[in-house]
Amino acid sequence: MIKFESVTFIRPNGVVALKDINLEIEKNELVTIVGANGAGKTTLLKHMNGLLKPTKGRVLIDGVDTRKTSVASLSKKIGLVFQNPDHQLFSESVEAEIVFGLKNFGFDEREIKRRTEKILEFFGLKELRDRAPLTLSGGEKKRLCIAAVLAWDPDVLVLDEPTVGQDLQNRLKLYEVINELRRRGKGVIIVSHDIEFLWPLQARTIVMADGEILKDGPAYEVFMDRELLKAARIRQPQLAELSTKLSLNFPFKGVEDAVERLLRSD
Amino acid sequence: MAYMLAEGLTFRYEDSPIHRRDPRAKLLLSICLFIVALSSNSVIHILIVLALISIPAMIANILKRMAKTLVFSLTFSVFIFVVNFAVGYDVMYSLTLALRFIAIVAAASLFFLTTSPDELEYVMRWMKLPRDFVFAFVTAVRFVPVLLLDLLQILDAQKSRGLEVERGGPVKRIRNLIPILIPLIVNALIRSGELAEAMEARGYGAVKRPTSLYVLSFDKWDAILSSLSVIGSVIFIYLSFLL
Repeated sequence: MIKFESVTFIRPNGVVALKDINLEIEKNELVTIVGANGAGKTTLLKHMNGLLKPTKGRVLIDGVDTRKTSVASLSKKIGLVFQNPDHQLFSESVEAEIVFGLKNFGFDEREIKRRTEKILEFFGLKELRDRAPLTLSGGEKKRLCIAAVLAWDPDVLVLDEPTVGQDLQNRLKLYEVINELRRRGKGVIIVSHDIEFLWPLQARTIVMADGEILKDGPAYEVFMDRELLKAARIRQPQLAELSTKLSLNFPFKGVEDAVERLLRSD
Repeated sequence: MAYMLAEGLTFRYEDSPIHRRDPRAKLLLSICLFIVALSSNSVIHILIVLALISIPAMIANILKRMAKTLVFSLTFSVFIFVVNFAVGYDVMYSLTLALRFIAIVAAASLFFLTTSPDELEYVMRWMKLPRDFVFAFVTAVRFVPVLLLDLLQILDAQKSRGLEVERGGPVKRIRNLIPILIPLIVNALIRSGELAEAMEARGYGAVKRPTSLYVLSFDKWDAILSSLSVIGSVIFIYLSFLL
């Protein structure tokens, strides 16, 4: 589905942002990407829908080279949601904001109506449909941004820092969205600093530092490798840290898991 | 393109004999070159002025960045040439006007490319301009690259939602700007509101005459540069009237 073949990206000012990246992500995978600021995570994402084109190597989406097609046609498959909702909300109503993308991708009127209703329902935005997006709360804005992208039903949803400024309720809603997409066989890619949010997902985890992939493996492996985390300047999730301190070979995946196993061993 | 523009307008500190000068000396140098450029009446004179401007630019190592700025003014200068020529002036005169515009922009950009926004602030305060005015001006200058970065991020976000800026007829193309301009303006407003609150929280306006961490100092080299600028331009103007 998404394939990076020795991709190197050099910025116009000469900074090497990605160094020889080789990566393959399947259609229905859940992948999380972690790394310190400036590790190249967002640059990597922007290559997935052609916003950036590799300086060397190539990126293939469903076998199509991103250099040979438009950002719009790639975005229809790979739905990117950026960090800051204020950089994209502009419509006079929540409903119009969702319709914008659907119109761009050329859906007919009936289909636009159907999809808008469905997505408003799923994201609990029905009561807010006539509100101006700029008057929404931070959490509502974020939900709207994700809804606006999911409306056209991309194969893969890519989220850049989805938990920034989000309260508990919105974080739980985010888990719900991710699980629902997984059930429908969709792919989800999440870039985040919020390791406590990522840990319960137990996803395939890619660790980046200075434009390179340091490690690509399951969360329970990546987050138990303290040397690696140190090199990537990432903290260990609390449950992983507890597991390390208890010298467990297999970490606690969640609080329930921890309680259950601790009680059992007692 | 927006990226290039952001590059050209962002001040970047470099350690050069020109950057190190007192901002007042740099301002005087720029003004002198500006006046000399304005008073030049032939293509040859303007070419000499451009060569004069390129000397400090070369020393300051900003020639490349200045060239970038000038590429943008080139479009306007072509416009000046075409209009003057169309109105009936001869080729040489139209060319003089067009080149003069470039020389003026180059003279002004010499100052802005070698002077940090902070230094600009000190100069304006030294001129005894009202503090609110100085602050507003310096903030505006500082916000240009920030807004351009915003613009790039907004473009990325909307392109990812299927917006194709360069598609359709002229009306459609203007309509395409709405999803870009609205977030840009809204962000600028949000930012200025936040800035105002942050400034107040840090005591802006609490005292009439705030002290300054840096004090401008005009040294020997500044004096030499300034006298060179003034004497040089007087001689240049005198000669250009003679010849």
